[in-house]
Amino acid sequence: MTPAIQATGLVKSFGHGQRALDEVSLHVKSGEVLVVMGPSGSGKSTLIRTFNGLESLDKGHLEVLGIPLDADNDERQIRRIRKRVGMVFQQFNLFPHLSILDNITLAPIRVQRRPRKEAENRALQLLTQMGIAEQAYKYPAQLSGGQQQRVAITRALALNPEVMLFDEPTSALDPERVKEVLDAMRSLAKDGMTMVVVTHEMGFAREVADRVLFMDEGRVVEISKPDELDKSVRWQKMASWGGQH
Amino acid sequence: MKSGPSPFKRLKRQLLASPLDVLITLLVLALFGWITATSLHWLVVDADWRVVSQNMPLYAFGSYPSDQRWRPLLWIALLIGLTLMTLLGPRKGWLRKALPLLWIAMVPFGVVLLAGGIGLLPIPSHAWGGLSLTLLLTACSGVLALPMGILLALGRQTSLYVIQRSCSVYIDVMRAVPLIAVLFFGQLLIPLFLPMHLEVNRVLRAVLAFALFAAAYIAEDVRGGLQAIPRTQHEAAAVLGLSTQQTLLLVVLPQALRTALPALTNQAVGLLQNTSLMAILGLVELLGISRSLLANPDFIGRYLEVYVWLAGVYWLVCTAMALLARHLEHQLSPTTSATAKR
Repeated sequence: MTPAIQATGLVKSFGHGQRALDEVSLHVKSGEVLVVMGPSGSGKSTLIRTFNGLESLDKGHLEVLGIPLDADNDERQIRRIRKRVGMVFQQFNLFPHLSILDNITLAPIRVQRRPRKEAENRALQLLTQMGIAEQAYKYPAQLSGGQQQRVAITRALALNPEVMLFDEPTSALDPERVKEVLDAMRSLAKDGMTMVVVTHEMGFAREVADRVLFMDEGRVVEISKPDELDKSVRWQKMASWGGQH
Repeated sequence: MKSGPSPFKRLKRQLLASPLDVLITLLVLALFGWITATSLHWLVVDADWRVVSQNMPLYAFGSYPSDQRWRPLLWIALLIGLTLMTLLGPRKGWLRKALPLLWIAMVPFGVVLLAGGIGLLPIPSHAWGGLSLTLLLTACSGVLALPMGILLALGRQTSLYVIQRSCSVYIDVMRAVPLIAVLFFGQLLIPLFLPMHLEVNRVLRAVLAFALFAAAYIAEDVRGGLQAIPRTQHEAAAVLGLSTQQTLLLVVLPQALRTALPALTNQAVGLLQNTSLMAILGLVELLGISRSLLANPDFIGRYLEVYVWLAGVYWLVCTAMALLARHLEHQLSPTTSATAKR
């Protein structure tokens, strides 16, 4: 079975010679949950953003759901990838001028050309699963951070993606709101979604991840199974910081 | 401010605390009293309002043929009706949904009503005048200038060098030239560019020049709105698969225009007031008709009455526009914090 994501020798640098990604190679199997950890500036966000073309590649080869992407960063290939890969950001990035329901149905109606009625029913059904159906007609600014992030997850799911990318989904949340978002991601993983999650949440990594990948200075420095984590020096170091950053 | 025992006592403490305070308070009161008394005396006793009251139709319609005056009257009445309906009408229902379309429809409707054709007796543009002409000039140039301004603002942001440079140069040049010069250029130059037999009437020339000028300012206001939108909004739209064009129309522009709305309201009010410059070009809009009335021997020397009346009319129209704009702002931000928190 072909892997959902296959990366070979990815290189990306930002101007001043420093490499954000330095020969990164990895693969994500279909149905697998890969958690990416590492200190700030280690390149984990850059890595996950290359997977759907938000960051261009300088070198290397990427294959997402069988769609190849090279250093030429072909716009058409990127668009094909984005149609099948959902993404959730640290800052939610909901559209403030649209209601929750419109936020979710915008792409299904405009990109997938589904009828409005059908798209709205699907959105309401997803919102109910997320436990926030009663927020459908409110606006993003009226919701708490945790609710906004769950809307952002719903918005991505409404397009029926085959892979979900999470870029520090709980880092901008109040501590008491983190759990509700992690719970939503947990049930998503249970349903067999292929997920790549950049996070500092150690509990989530241990419980949900199939593999945990550590990055440092743009390089993959370690890949562990959850049951091997206690032996990992990096894991112990993170634990001693209280799991934060 | 602390809430004192009673407003009266608070006033006393603030205004009559020391002998000097008492003196200053009395002097200021006397000055106010004197100004109010003389103004009222002039308004009621000295002023001769016949120059206004006898010429109401002229102020409203200019020298529009009297048997056709129902046309501009109907247009103005509809505008007033729409304003009232927008401000005071029902908050929900099909009427509310139809309002934006009705407002846009008022512009071509006004042109057709005033100009004639389509079953109506054609009236040449030199017979248009007064408030109806002022409103028509404002509406037409505004409707033309807004899309031009948006395109210029977008052009200034594009990565296509030639388009970006030419938009920048256009905006900078237009903003460096006084409006009156642009209006004169419009009157003199636009006919030169057109074939001999095709004569563009004076009103249209003025509207075109006016819109070209206003577009530069609108472009800068819209640019401000565009810059206020974080890059992450583009990213969110991109990962959902929206095309560049869809992102612009569905995500970026609605937010940018909402942000630019207060500045755009300023432009709209300025547009209305600047139409008075067209009196210098010989159009008999509100100011023009007033100047020609003052040239009438019957009303010689009644400058103050006419200009006080004019100020009142402009004030009324501008206030209505400001209220409408505030209403629109409110409509577009269903939650007051929607733009504050992003």
